Amino acid sequence: MAITTTSKTEDLLDPEFIVRLERLEMVSKKIFRGSMRGERRSRRRGESAEFADHRNYVVGDDLRFLDWNVYARLERLFIKLFLEEVDLHVNILVDVSKSMAWGKPEKARYARQIAAALSYVGLANNDRVSVYSFANGLVGELSGMRGKRLLPKVLEHLQTIECGGISDFHTSCKQFSLRHSQPGILIVLSDFFDKGGYESGLRMLLGKKSDVYCIQVLAPDELEPQLTGELRLTDVEDEDVAEVSMSRALINRYKQNLSAYCKGLQEHCTRRGMTYAMTCSDVPFDQVVLNVLRRRGLFK
Amino acid sequence: MNFLAGWPPIAIAAGITVPPLVLLYFLKLRRASHTVSTTLLWKRAVEDLQVNAPFQRIRNNLLLWLQLLILLLAALALGKPIFEGSRQSEDTIVMLIDHSASMGVEEENGKTRLEVAKEQAEAIIDNMPTGSKAMLIGFSDRATVVSAFESERSVLKDRLESIPQTDAASTLTEGIALAEAYMQNLVIAGDEAGADITIESSAAPARVVILTDGNIEDADSLTIKRLPTGDMQIVSIGERDDNVAILSTEAKRNYEYPQMLEVFSLVRNFGTETVRCDANLYINDKHVDVQSLELKPGRIETKKPEDQDDADDSPESEPVRRNQVPAAGSTASVAFDPIEFEGGGSVEVRLTIDDAMRSDNAAWTVVQPPRNVTVLHVGQGNLFLDRVLPTLPIQITKMTPEEYESADETEIAEAARLKFDVAIFDNHSTERLWPGSYIFFGGVPQIEGVKAGRPVQGGIIFDWDEAHPILRYVGIGKVLIHQWLALTLPMQAETLVEGEDAPVMALLSQDGMHFLISAFSLVVEDDISGQALLNSDWGFKPHFPVFLQNAIQFMTGSLSFKGVRNVRPGDPIEFVVPDSIDEISVRRPDGTVAKVQTGQFTNVNYAGTRTVGVYTAQPAVEGKEQYAVNLFNSTESNVAPSKVLKLAGTQVETTASVEIVNKPFWPYLLLGILAVLLIEWAIYSKRVFV
Repeated sequence: MAITTTSKTEDLLDPEFIVRLERLEMVSKKIFRGSMRGERRSRRRGESAEFADHRNYVVGDDLRFLDWNVYARLERLFIKLFLEEVDLHVNILVDVSKSMAWGKPEKARYARQIAAALSYVGLANNDRVSVYSFANGLVGELSGMRGKRLLPKVLEHLQTIECGGISDFHTSCKQFSLRHSQPGILIVLSDFFDKGGYESGLRMLLGKKSDVYCIQVLAPDELEPQLTGELRLTDVEDEDVAEVSMSRALINRYKQNLSAYCKGLQEHCTRRGMTYAMTCSDVPFDQVVLNVLRRRGLFK
Repeated sequence: MNFLAGWPPIAIAAGITVPPLVLLYFLKLRRASHTVSTTLLWKRAVEDLQVNAPFQRIRNNLLLWLQLLILLLAALALGKPIFEGSRQSEDTIVMLIDHSASMGVEEENGKTRLEVAKEQAEAIIDNMPTGSKAMLIGFSDRATVVSAFESERSVLKDRLESIPQTDAASTLTEGIALAEAYMQNLVIAGDEAGADITIESSAAPARVVILTDGNIEDADSLTIKRLPTGDMQIVSIGERDDNVAILSTEAKRNYEYPQMLEVFSLVRNFGTETVRCDANLYINDKHVDVQSLELKPGRIETKKPEDQDDADDSPESEPVRRNQVPAAGSTASVAFDPIEFEGGGSVEVRLTIDDAMRSDNAAWTVVQPPRNVTVLHVGQGNLFLDRVLPTLPIQITKMTPEEYESADETEIAEAARLKFDVAIFDNHSTERLWPGSYIFFGGVPQIEGVKAGRPVQGGIIFDWDEAHPILRYVGIGKVLIHQWLALTLPMQAETLVEGEDAPVMALLSQDGMHFLISAFSLVVEDDISGQALLNSDWGFKPHFPVFLQNAIQFMTGSLSFKGVRNVRPGDPIEFVVPDSIDEISVRRPDGTVAKVQTGQFTNVNYAGTRTVGVYTAQPAVEGKEQYAVNLFNSTESNVAPSKVLKLAGTQVETTASVEIVNKPFWPYLLLGILAVLLIEWAIYSKRVFV
């Protein structure tokens, strides 16, 4: 089904790119039990077109599922069991703290674009898509979206989220866990620059046994700072000040620290069965979606 | 490269400026504000670096390094860096600076030669290596040590500036003698205790630099004993050669009509161009006459033929200019029309010309009102004197020696001075003398230092000063003299006629008394018969009356008593003042007045005569109160600078400027500072606006 593109859609998603997304389907390494019947097979036996097994009839079983062919041959009553198709919860957590509004191109816009693309894939596959935004807590929520027709709503929601506030990853994750009980695919889009640390927050997310994807979005100036001279660096979120004399040694040290930070995050994720991907806001986001996340196993 | 001021000023400057800069750098570092997504990683990086290397920030701050470089360059500049030259070690320099009249010539650049010489001397002082000593001697008619050996440059420069411009001639003998005397002291002072004191032993060889235009009177006759002539550098100052000078001026009263004043001048062109000018006559500053002159070039520029080789540039080919005969037409005698003038005062001849030297464009002389000269003639009777003296325009009083010796003081003297203008003693020696003028024939004044020895018979006259006013037009060389007295005279006596062993005629000034002493008389008394015998044939010669006239005029005229008709700049003037005067005022040509203490003497010497013009004393005895000081020096007026100077018999080539061995390097350092400042500014601006 083709969707009508609007200007808001074009802002975040290119129509040509949407066509390419059509072919994608989000997969989860884990099979979850959804609340509604969906388009995904689950291990649960349920109602679907796909045969799974037979079992003996017991009183009270739905007679529609009796296998009359077997009864004709063996004269015994067997009930046909089918693989039940369940819906998939796709939860997208987008960081909208002040630090995400930094960088050229802006990290927040980049994260929104990825969120929009993932949302589209989810919606297109009749998954249950929820988009949450967080800063010092959950600041926006659009949950239970299903079907492509709801894409404009999702996009509008993504567009209207304002960046602001100090990042508090732990609180945000805690609030998310309390509100959202269903397991599914959880994609976190953030720079993960939280002075309180990302570890406890991620632990909160693991509790739901979701398939967690951590996508770290960084700006080019964060990866390769173009700074010289005597500087007074101000943190965009908490206005914390660091006085530095820029030098090659300092920049090298910064890069080493950044690399270690990212590596630490990656290790943390890997050890806990999460998938980690890092991207830069100057890398075309469609590449991230089509290549990076595909390689990470988010799509098939 | 070497440092004239040495390392201490560099170390002090660096020590004072560098630590505060580094300190200020820490305290007052201006930072540009910049917003980042998080300071988390930056803080960690800074902490890591500070832990690892606390001075990392300094080491890698380019601006700080540039500022330190600027300070270092400035400190190095303070050390007066120089390009390496041949003279790096301590130096001993003797600078002789000419400040004679010709050094007052204003050159094309508007500076006088003396100013140029001072600039050159300053350049030498500036380029002296640290620890060097320099001595400054100013020389003109006499030499003065302006600064003894001194190593402080500012002191040397101050003293250099104090060298005055004079109108005197230049002589180098005294200057060389002074330099040698100081050199000797330096050598002895430099010897260690117990070491042999020898003049040549331990002294650093002195470098002698003479800054002059080359018009030195006594250059040929110099004697240089200790100064190293080989290392002598003569810097020739000046370019101009156009000069017209008055070489003599005389004002005489007409013999028959004393109220008529006749003025003569001798003018010479020393330049290479024909000159037309006017000679103006002023009497007591009133313009009375003018004469036009045309003077041909005094020096003809000889152009070198093109085919001549370079040998002509050698010193030998330089034509000898000094004492050469003036070129035809370059000299003119100016005779002004006789002027009726019965008073006394100053007579000035002034040329209207704009030439190199101004001090020889005017000449002065002093005339007295016409009056009969009173003469006391003391003698037994002398045929020639008795005949000639009455023919002269003088008033004679005659006495025998006995009458003179027994006469009352009031008959001969008045106010402790000789009553007569001049007293002539013939064959009589006396000690009865008062301040005044005396002529002795065959006798001597009985004063200290003067003795009449044994008679010398058949002696030969060797030499005589025919240019002296007393002997002008007097051919004494052809005079026969039977015998004369072997005179013993004090050092200050000026010999006019030189005999075989002793002076025959001399001038002597002592204790306010002025003597013309002739060792012979025309007539002598026979020891046995007592008859008068002819001692010389001079009385028969036509120039004997001329001699008497010259002598009386000289001894009574408004002349200095140093034996020359005009006082030369720098020579002392002797004013005769009335008795019991403590102080006199001397008005100088520039209008300034100098107070001179008499010390209760009636003769006051005034030596501040280094400017040409008329000097007037007040109060003073009438006729002895005014003197004229004139240059009248052809060597000095010939202002063309010499390319070759003959010093002590050796021809020394002059150079156009001082040899600056060490080239200053500090201007380049300053340029470097400017460049670094620009770079620093550019980097700073770039960083601020990141």
